[in-house]
Amino acid sequence: MSGFKRDKKEEEDGGGNPFQNIEKTIVLQEARIFNETSVNPRKCTPILTKLLYMLNQGEQLSAKEATDVFFAMTKLFQSKDVILRRLVYLGIKELSSIADDVIIVTSSLTKDMTGKEDLYRAAAIRALCSITDATMLQAIERYMKQAIVDRNPAVSSAALVSSLHMTKIAPEVVKRWVNEAQEAVNSDNIMVQFHALGLLYHIRKSDRLAVTKLVARLTRTMSSKSPYAVCMLIRIAAKLIEEEGADSNSPYFDYIEACFRHKSEMVVYEAAYAVVNLNRTTNRELAQAISVLQLFCGSPKPTLRFAAVRTLNQVAISHPAAVTACNLDLENLITDSNRSIATLAITTLLKTGAESSVDR
Amino acid sequence: MEGSLLEPILYSVKAIAILDSDGNRILAKYYDKNVFPTPKEQRTFEKNLFNKTHRANAEIIMLDGLTCVYKSNVDLFFYVMGSSNENELILMSVLNCLYDSVSQILRKNVEKRAVLESLDIVMLAMDEICDGGIIIDADSSSVVSRVALRNDDIPIGEQTVAQVFQSAKEQLKWSLLK
Repeated sequence: MSGFKRDKKEEEDGGGNPFQNIEKTIVLQEARIFNETSVNPRKCTPILTKLLYMLNQGEQLSAKEATDVFFAMTKLFQSKDVILRRLVYLGIKELSSIADDVIIVTSSLTKDMTGKEDLYRAAAIRALCSITDATMLQAIERYMKQAIVDRNPAVSSAALVSSLHMTKIAPEVVKRWVNEAQEAVNSDNIMVQFHALGLLYHIRKSDRLAVTKLVARLTRTMSSKSPYAVCMLIRIAAKLIEEEGADSNSPYFDYIEACFRHKSEMVVYEAAYAVVNLNRTTNRELAQAISVLQLFCGSPKPTLRFAAVRTLNQVAISHPAAVTACNLDLENLITDSNRSIATLAITTLLKTGAESSVDR
Repeated sequence: MEGSLLEPILYSVKAIAILDSDGNRILAKYYDKNVFPTPKEQRTFEKNLFNKTHRANAEIIMLDGLTCVYKSNVDLFFYVMGSSNENELILMSVLNCLYDSVSQILRKNVEKRAVLESLDIVMLAMDEICDGGIIIDADSSSVVSRVALRNDDIPIGEQTVAQVFQSAKEQLKWSLLK
């Protein structure tokens, strides 16, 4: 029995932790196995995992160390093992900013991104864009456009998200993909819709007319299946209201108000948040948003209560009178088991509360 | 705390972290270079976050100007961080997806040991959930289908003695349970 106990203790102390006490020099040495002519995935996968773990722990590599291990890693492209290949993509992304000559893997990644294996394609696109610069982007432009409108949602999303990252270094190139993004925004997939909308807005945001058209079309047609896309649309609509100084008869207002009845709490909250933060919100609209937030104050979910009270706290700064309706709910939250919620409730009450509530 | 309209951008996640029961990092990713740029600052933040959250099972906290949602199980702590104005429910959906994906990958056995044993797959899953701060997917079953679970049928000749023992033990256990 005592022997068993000792074993157990040793186990807990890291006997079972393959990543205890790993050292940079040893891992880099082990990584030389990648250079062997025939790749053994069963040996290479744990070593590559160890390397990625080490980088994730914040270990810094010199440019030379990173370049050496990067080049060794490129040899693993010979293997067809799915997990190993995917880990190589992760490694490429991790090392792309430290190692030199990373563009060496461009052709391997382009091959994977246009190949048949769906499990490779999406991840390969994201890895490829991490090593690509503005001039090289033009070389792969054709593939990126194809990928954006691909039928596989993972591929399409990966291409859209990568395009958005690429706008930081090559905005002019990505601008040319607006038609593809336009097509992707009509996708049935909720994430593709969200990513396409994000990219479209980013490309067009300086062109007011284009944004107005986009919002007008999407508020009518976009299925409400994707809560993320709807949240995004609410943000765009709110921005338009603010910029145009639109009054409460504007269709954007109608859209945001309609979102109060959306079945996703995420969307309802986003709509309420937008309304209370608009400069031109009228009392009627404010009252509606506040009653939504008031409802959330009684939710069993701490995150929802937190979100509601945080927003009420903000409203209380500009419109303390509007929040007094919630005082009773806020008083209940003072004893909330989550201290952040309790604190926010107290500070809100200090702004809105009358003497009667202070006594209690 | 000043309220303001949210900028319509896709970058909503600032960081994701999985810590163990001592507050040490198992995996962590910071997506915004302006938020804790050095490993040292990240560690300090993680320690701080852990100290504030490991006893109180409160799900959400504001710390250092970030909104952090969290969840724990046995000896693991999962965190998703966003800016203090971000829609908390969006962050929560990412956290739920992370947790459920890990749980499915580890076949419901969500503990440190199991995470370390399948660290490669867990890393791939994290990569499928968020890319550079953009939520790629928030549906755990779709995330898990994208990371290609390892199949367990290693040819017997290549198994180690321990693996053979393990599978024999499991088979015996199941036959006893029947």
